[in-house]
Amino acid sequence: MMRKRLYNIGAILQGLGITFKFMFRRQPTVPYPSVMKQHAPRFHGLHELRRYADGKERCIGCELCSSACPANAITVIGAENAPEDRRSPGERYAARYEIDELRCIFCGLCEEACPTDAIVLTPRFEMSDYRRGSFIYSKDRLLVPPEAGVGTPPDERPNGIPADLGRVAEVKSTVDIAAGYSATNRGEVLKTHRRGLAG
Amino acid sequence: MADNAAELVSLTIDGVPLKVPKGTLLVEAAKQIKQEIPVYCYHTKLGPAGLCRVCLVEIEGTPKLQIACNTPVADGMVVRTQNAKVDAGRAMILELLLVNHPLDCPVCDKGGECDLQDYAMAYARGTSDLADPKTSKPKGVDLGPTIVLDEERCVVCQRCVRFDDIIVGDPQLVLKDRGVRDMIATASGDPYRHNFTGNVTELCPVGALTSKTYRFKSRPWDLDRTQTTCTQCSVGCQMFSDVRFGVPLRTMSVEHDDAISDGWLCDRGRYNIGFYDAKERITQPLYKRGDTFMQISWDDAFALWARAITDAIHLSGPQSVGTIGGGRLTNEEAYVAQYLFRALGVNNLDWRAGRQRQATPGSRGGTLADLERANAIVVLGDSPADRAPVLDLRIRKAVKRANATLVRVAPLDVSPVPSIDVVDVAQAAAALPATASSIAVVWDGIDAAAVERLLDALPENVTVRTYITSEQGNARGAETMGMHPRFAPGFAAAENGLDTEAMLAAASDGALAVLSIFGANPALRHPNGPLVRAALAKTPFVVVSELFMTESAKLATLVLPAKGAFEKNGTTLNATGDALPVNASLQAPEGVLSDLEMLVGLAEQLGVNLPAQEAVHAAVIEAIAQAPAFDLGDHAFRTRAAQAATIPADGLRVAVHSNVFAGDGTSAHDERIVALRPLAEALLSTDDAKVYGVSSGDRIDLEAGGLTLHNLSVAVRAGIARGTLVLVDGLATAPANSFAPGAVVRVVHVRKGDSTLVEA
Repeated sequence: MMRKRLYNIGAILQGLGITFKFMFRRQPTVPYPSVMKQHAPRFHGLHELRRYADGKERCIGCELCSSACPANAITVIGAENAPEDRRSPGERYAARYEIDELRCIFCGLCEEACPTDAIVLTPRFEMSDYRRGSFIYSKDRLLVPPEAGVGTPPDERPNGIPADLGRVAEVKSTVDIAAGYSATNRGEVLKTHRRGLAG
Repeated sequence: MADNAAELVSLTIDGVPLKVPKGTLLVEAAKQIKQEIPVYCYHTKLGPAGLCRVCLVEIEGTPKLQIACNTPVADGMVVRTQNAKVDAGRAMILELLLVNHPLDCPVCDKGGECDLQDYAMAYARGTSDLADPKTSKPKGVDLGPTIVLDEERCVVCQRCVRFDDIIVGDPQLVLKDRGVRDMIATASGDPYRHNFTGNVTELCPVGALTSKTYRFKSRPWDLDRTQTTCTQCSVGCQMFSDVRFGVPLRTMSVEHDDAISDGWLCDRGRYNIGFYDAKERITQPLYKRGDTFMQISWDDAFALWARAITDAIHLSGPQSVGTIGGGRLTNEEAYVAQYLFRALGVNNLDWRAGRQRQATPGSRGGTLADLERANAIVVLGDSPADRAPVLDLRIRKAVKRANATLVRVAPLDVSPVPSIDVVDVAQAAAALPATASSIAVVWDGIDAAAVERLLDALPENVTVRTYITSEQGNARGAETMGMHPRFAPGFAAAENGLDTEAMLAAASDGALAVLSIFGANPALRHPNGPLVRAALAKTPFVVVSELFMTESAKLATLVLPAKGAFEKNGTTLNATGDALPVNASLQAPEGVLSDLEMLVGLAEQLGVNLPAQEAVHAAVIEAIAQAPAFDLGDHAFRTRAAQAATIPADGLRVAVHSNVFAGDGTSAHDERIVALRPLAEALLSTDDAKVYGVSSGDRIDLEAGGLTLHNLSVAVRAGIARGTLVLVDGLATAPANSFAPGAVVRVVHVRKGDSTLVEA
């Protein structure tokens, strides 16, 4: 009986030893939101819709993202570009583009499917809100500001065929992972941009 | 061919022995063992062309691969459709087809249902040896009011060119230029326009020809597909309604629908689907107080309607209640309508709201396949091309493929296929070839005396098949279901009531208290417009069920918002007597009821017990199964409106011409077909144009009996009888029934092309 109890004390000490060991190490938790953690380089967060350097939308409304989406979170309705108000290179653009972020499982298949690198998952993850409806993100919240566009539009390439079709890396690099990334701050930047555009 | 049909040839395809009729093409023979051979230029309905070369197969004994689409079977032939040699051949053909084909599948309307995509996946190598850039060609070329061409995507299979030539008989599309610069265009450079243009978008194996109305609206996998029957005319083509988010985006033909549509659709049926969500649509019952309509609830509408009927029957008997219409209802609705009113003792029922008098051809009625096999076809009255376009394709097929003789009596349009155009019935019978053993008579159901003379004049000992093209989709159904003053369902004798003419005459004398109009527009379509307007104005309670504020609805006391054909279920009876299903593919707007639901609501208020749904179905099936014993122009269908066709010495007589795009309801409120709508045009003979000093493009004002019709554009046509002025039926901007029937019309003003006004 006695020996059994002593044996148990040994096990308890061994367990507590691990606990005590961590008491003297650096804390792994951070006081969020005043301190932000560095994301993994390929973290899948909130989507954004990119533009080309000339401000035209990359999205051509082809719906391949919504077809690839395993959660049926994306709805796209295409339309024809009007000659006087061209939204995207080529003939077609997305008249409506909506992602239900509550349905989204952030798998990134939309990003893989996109032939023009228009839809990209950013490291931004803070999307709390009071109403479920607010999580349906449409073009007004997904599109980056015109001056944030990158890449040459395919119109200017021979035959209008994008040379970088399917190469995501080029576009991904617009987020400077090494310099750290404040999701909250970036949201503020986007809001200011939009306000500027509206005003 | 008929001799060879019995003779069978045995051959082996992919090791499977089979026997097929002599003359069968390999590509068709392979279908019997469910072996699909890829094709682009070949199409079952268009035949072989041997242009794309993708259908390569290996035939034992021939050193090179052969094309399956243009090789007839031979006895003892050993064919292999799947092996390394064949695959290599097809891969090479596909590589060549893809040399200049743009990789814009993500934005292409055909992407997802494209033969080039499918076969490239199945047979192509996946890489290309092409080092140079692809050629650039114009994209989004406007071919006409319905079709957009992407020249880069075209694989020059010429299916569209052959469709125009072989099926339509109006070869507008041609292949212009040669080599790498070849492109599809109209030979004349004019917009591509006939009644069947939409079919080329389905024939095109790639995304070169696409519909303007569906351009970039959706991808094929988004669409919810429902098979239904087109109810825009009396042919009853089967079609698919493709809906996304409750909006009908496109319709597609049913390729294996050989019995009815032969796999084609006309542009009215295909494109006139945009009215369902038109903002002008009525979505709440409207009740007229003074001169304005006010919105009321359905309960109030039913109460008012029932009250009006009960009061009328109580005060002046059931003969003071009348019901017109039914040609746009389903069979079930028409049956319930006549059941309800006959249960009240009302016998004043008539589906005929337009010019047509008869819709059922009777004992000698033929099928559409019979029409195709006739030796001679006589067309009497309105051209089927403008009333039942897809039926007209059968006539063209008979003429073009089987050398049938087409005789047309006093036609107002030009036939695309060779025809003998005569001025009267007697000449028509004389023009028939003596060798003809089967004759088809296609009538518009209007002039009963003429068709009777024609049938009498036809030679004895020949098989005669009769056809009636109707103004409304389910005219035959309404007639069969007993929406007729003399017939109960199934053409059983009924207690005689007033027909439309008599009802309108009674109404203008103030003898009618309630007139209910279902899916009909007599104010615009009835030949005696002044009478209809007087009758509707004089009748105290006029109920019209409609989708839009048509001319008739404007004159109503109570307007009830009705469901369209895509929003309800039921059956319809086409011109050749086939009962066809109408399946709902859309949700109707809130507050809109089907005519059946309206009748049920009314019956509840009136305390009439309607039969249960199963009983209605059984009654409809039984009525359709009855074989009527009458012929074309039977006296049971005649009404007293017989008009003398004399040519006036001074002035013009109005003749009315159907147009499949006319109307002021569903076709007027659809922006997809605005460009296809007929103009407010007056056709004049060359003689009369000289008399009045007008030429095409001038504008004229007309006057007869104090009634006027302003600003009609003149079109001078050869082939129109002197003294005749042809107007298009069913245009609210220029109603063809503006004048009383038989009125002598004078030209009062002429505005020349330079807008100078000339007193005539």
